[in-house]
Amino acid sequence: MSDPEKVFPTGLTLSEAEELHSQLVDGTRIFGVISALAHVLVAVTTPWLG
Amino acid sequence: MINSRMWLVVNPTVGLPLFLGAVAVGSFSVHVAITTNTTWVNDFLSGREMGSTDAKMAAASTLDTAQAAEVVIDRTAAGEAESAVITLEDGRTAKAYFSEVKTASLQ
Repeated sequence: MSDPEKVFPTGLTLSEAEELHSQLVDGTRIFGVISALAHVLVAVTTPWLG
Repeated sequence: MINSRMWLVVNPTVGLPLFLGAVAVGSFSVHVAITTNTTWVNDFLSGREMGSTDAKMAAASTLDTAQAAEVVIDRTAAGEAESAVITLEDGRTAKAYFSEVKTASLQ
């Protein structure tokens, strides 16, 4: 697991897997921030949530 | 980064569409549920004031109760309700016939 050059069953090395995962986490954070903003706007401007 | 090693065993060509698809299907179904169970989204899309349909429906249900001006029930000699004539305030009438009362018998 510590060999950075080792290619695992999916064809990725550990550093590639970490890079892919960091992109996915960043995308999830951006999506979360935008959707949270959208939900706040909807809650303020519509009868949603009463 | 925690969990990043899952991409060593889960192929990204499978895992990424699965993850993004789950997010898309989940959020879409929640929004469909909101649009089909509320009236204010349709109010907005139709250019009406949001929540006005709810208020109109509440007013209409009150009006319907008030319009049932008279109900006359016809009864048999035994006192069972046979039929009823409903007369609205605007003069329209409706007649309702009730089914017979079924009694159980051991004979």
